[in-house]
Amino acid sequence: MTVVAGYRAGEVGLSGLHLAVCVARTLGTSLAVATIVPKPWLIPSLARVDAEYEQWADHLAADSATEAARFLHDLRDGIDVAYLHREHRSVSGGLIEVVEELGGEVLVLGSLPSAGGGVVIGTTADWLLHASPVPVAISPRGYRPHTGKLTRLTCAYAATPDSIEVVRRCSETAQRFGVPLRVMTFAVRGKTMYPPEVGLDVEDQVIEAWASQAREILASLKTDGVVGEDVALEVVTGHDWSEALDKADWRDGEILALGTRPRDEIRRVFLGSRSAKIIRESPVPVLVLPG
Amino acid sequence: MPSTSISLTEQMLRRRPVVGAHAARGAADHLKRSIGTFQLTMFGVGSTVGTGIFFVMSQAVPEAGPGVIVSFLVAGIAAGLAAICYAELASAVPVSGSSYSYAYTTLGEVVAIGVAACLLLEYGVSTAAVSVTWSGYLNKLLSNLFGFQLPHVLSAAPWDSQPGYVNVPAILLIVMCALLLIRGASESARVNAIMVLTKLGVLVMFAILAFTAFDADRLRDFAPFGVAGIGSAAGTIFFSYIGLDAVSTAGDEVKDPQKTMPRAIIAALVIVSTVYLLVALAALGTQPWRDFAAQQEAGLATILDNVTHGRWASTILAAGAVISIFSVTLVTMYGQTRILFAMGRDGLLPSRFATVNSRTMTPVSNTAIVATAAGTLAAFVPLDKLADMVSIGTLTAFIVVSVGVIILRVRQPDLPRAFKVPGYPVTPALSVLACGYILFSLHWYTWIAFSGWISVALIFYFVWGRHHSALNDTQDQPGETQKTL
Repeated sequence: MTVVAGYRAGEVGLSGLHLAVCVARTLGTSLAVATIVPKPWLIPSLARVDAEYEQWADHLAADSATEAARFLHDLRDGIDVAYLHREHRSVSGGLIEVVEELGGEVLVLGSLPSAGGGVVIGTTADWLLHASPVPVAISPRGYRPHTGKLTRLTCAYAATPDSIEVVRRCSETAQRFGVPLRVMTFAVRGKTMYPPEVGLDVEDQVIEAWASQAREILASLKTDGVVGEDVALEVVTGHDWSEALDKADWRDGEILALGTRPRDEIRRVFLGSRSAKIIRESPVPVLVLPG
Repeated sequence: MPSTSISLTEQMLRRRPVVGAHAARGAADHLKRSIGTFQLTMFGVGSTVGTGIFFVMSQAVPEAGPGVIVSFLVAGIAAGLAAICYAELASAVPVSGSSYSYAYTTLGEVVAIGVAACLLLEYGVSTAAVSVTWSGYLNKLLSNLFGFQLPHVLSAAPWDSQPGYVNVPAILLIVMCALLLIRGASESARVNAIMVLTKLGVLVMFAILAFTAFDADRLRDFAPFGVAGIGSAAGTIFFSYIGLDAVSTAGDEVKDPQKTMPRAIIAALVIVSTVYLLVALAALGTQPWRDFAAQQEAGLATILDNVTHGRWASTILAAGAVISIFSVTLVTMYGQTRILFAMGRDGLLPSRFATVNSRTMTPVSNTAIVATAAGTLAAFVPLDKLADMVSIGTLTAFIVVSVGVIILRVRQPDLPRAFKVPGYPVTPALSVLACGYILFSLHWYTWIAFSGWISVALIFYFVWGRHHSALNDTQDQPGETQKTL
């Protein structure tokens, strides 16, 4: 059992490595930093025109390992770290291969260092969220935990009957991590309709009604025995997703867990539109559990 | 059952207390007040223009002849007076919402039920009525652009003057709007502004083109049916002023309401009336008044065809009408779902109306029920019957609000009011008189249908609503009820 972190020099920031160390320490396992480089053609090409390309790929692998090692030197603090690289046609495919080979328990990725807050998912991470056989953790940009370990797992629960399974899986994951569980339901207020024929804040009543419905559904998680009595249950609402996520009172070392929907035909609907918004606005790392 | 402990009269007159978040709003009010006169005027114009003007000529001119011009003025004055009364009631009641909420907190449960029944006509039935007019303009647009249109039997109701089987475009429009509402779509302030400009633009274009063919002789036989005809037409035309009261519901977000409120209401009224009068006058000058009755579908576009001897102008007008009627249907249908939502929360309707779907976060079954009811009406009931029902409901609600202003002044003279009706008590009295005059000019069969509808609402209240009212649970707590107005 190990934690696998995807890393490539110069592309993603160091936030992913911070999170990877944190997860490995929480689980008490080792860490494998994997760099996936392009696969060269098997047939020797005419006049070795791709020699420089292959060299670049080799350098990329070596640079990534050196850079990660330099960074993890101070941070690893007793954790076994292995560095490896794989040649594969796609980064996501390569990472899945490494996870399967090493028996990885969690796959950790960093946010892309683009503008905007929260967790930024690139195409690689997006593909992995659908295809990974193990949970995928993604750090928000500039993530620097001060606790060294994860401290709590918040389960984002849609309060629909078919998503109870997600709470169960979150509960198991929290136990595996040895951290307390919190189940949270997020909702955003509908936009005001213009012209306001029935008052400008009628949507406040709709979201209030929704929140009280959600609180009842959350309470039934305890009475139905899905989660234990000590689990915190909360409903958070806001005018938009960013406000709702901000209000949620996050601890240092907290991780937000979401479930993907059971495998559908169309790849894009694996993550509901709501999950995608929650991930984007999350101030803490997210852990996406496979469907 | 807790309701047995109080008498029926007490039940009927009990008022909803002002509690919790709504009451607390007052403190932070000055922070949220952000709407100025211009924006408020846009609300008023946006919610008013488009409900009726695209079809009302073909309904009203046969009733009054060219005297319909006077009917427009009468209807406009009544709507304006009522809107000013609305503004005072809205500012005196620290709850947000429609006149149903105002009535519940000031006049008691049974009046609230009556007002709600009227609002169901103002919003629910007008959703149906407006969508009926959509099919005419859609067909006109399709035939101008592509040379085909839906057969008449599929775009008219069975009891229409030119009967069909079912009005398919109206159903389509209502279903589209329902799906948008279920998905949580809403019209933003910017889209509203675009809609206002679109509507005003095509109407002004109509007036300018139609005036080129103006012939004053066509106004000579001014009032062929006398005062009675003008009054009756005012009832039909009143439909096109519905929505002016929407201005008052923005009350607690308005900057300096004592000044802004009447200015915006009057400005909206002046803009809307001017456009309507120009359209009416221009249309009357193009053809003998007896010709209007035959132009049931896409009336204004047909007139443009006759005036311009070409199709480009009627195509633009039909396109403008198709877009703006869509937006009006969306907004009125939204209003209806939210009024039923409030009633569901108060326990006066089954809780299904106040249940929010956890996936879409919108009241889905509520919206579906409204769409089914409005769709059925739109599919099978002809326009003139629907429009008169909308007018009678709205006028009655307006009268209740105007009387409510007087009752509240007598009962609670010291209550803080952000906006007070100028010229009290003359203004609310005039409002009652103006609305009452139009009301009594309506056809007898409209009155029968209306009485029937109000009876159904009251029977439902006596049999079901009063036993399930959320106030039953708070009766034992005198601390709560003391907060009523």
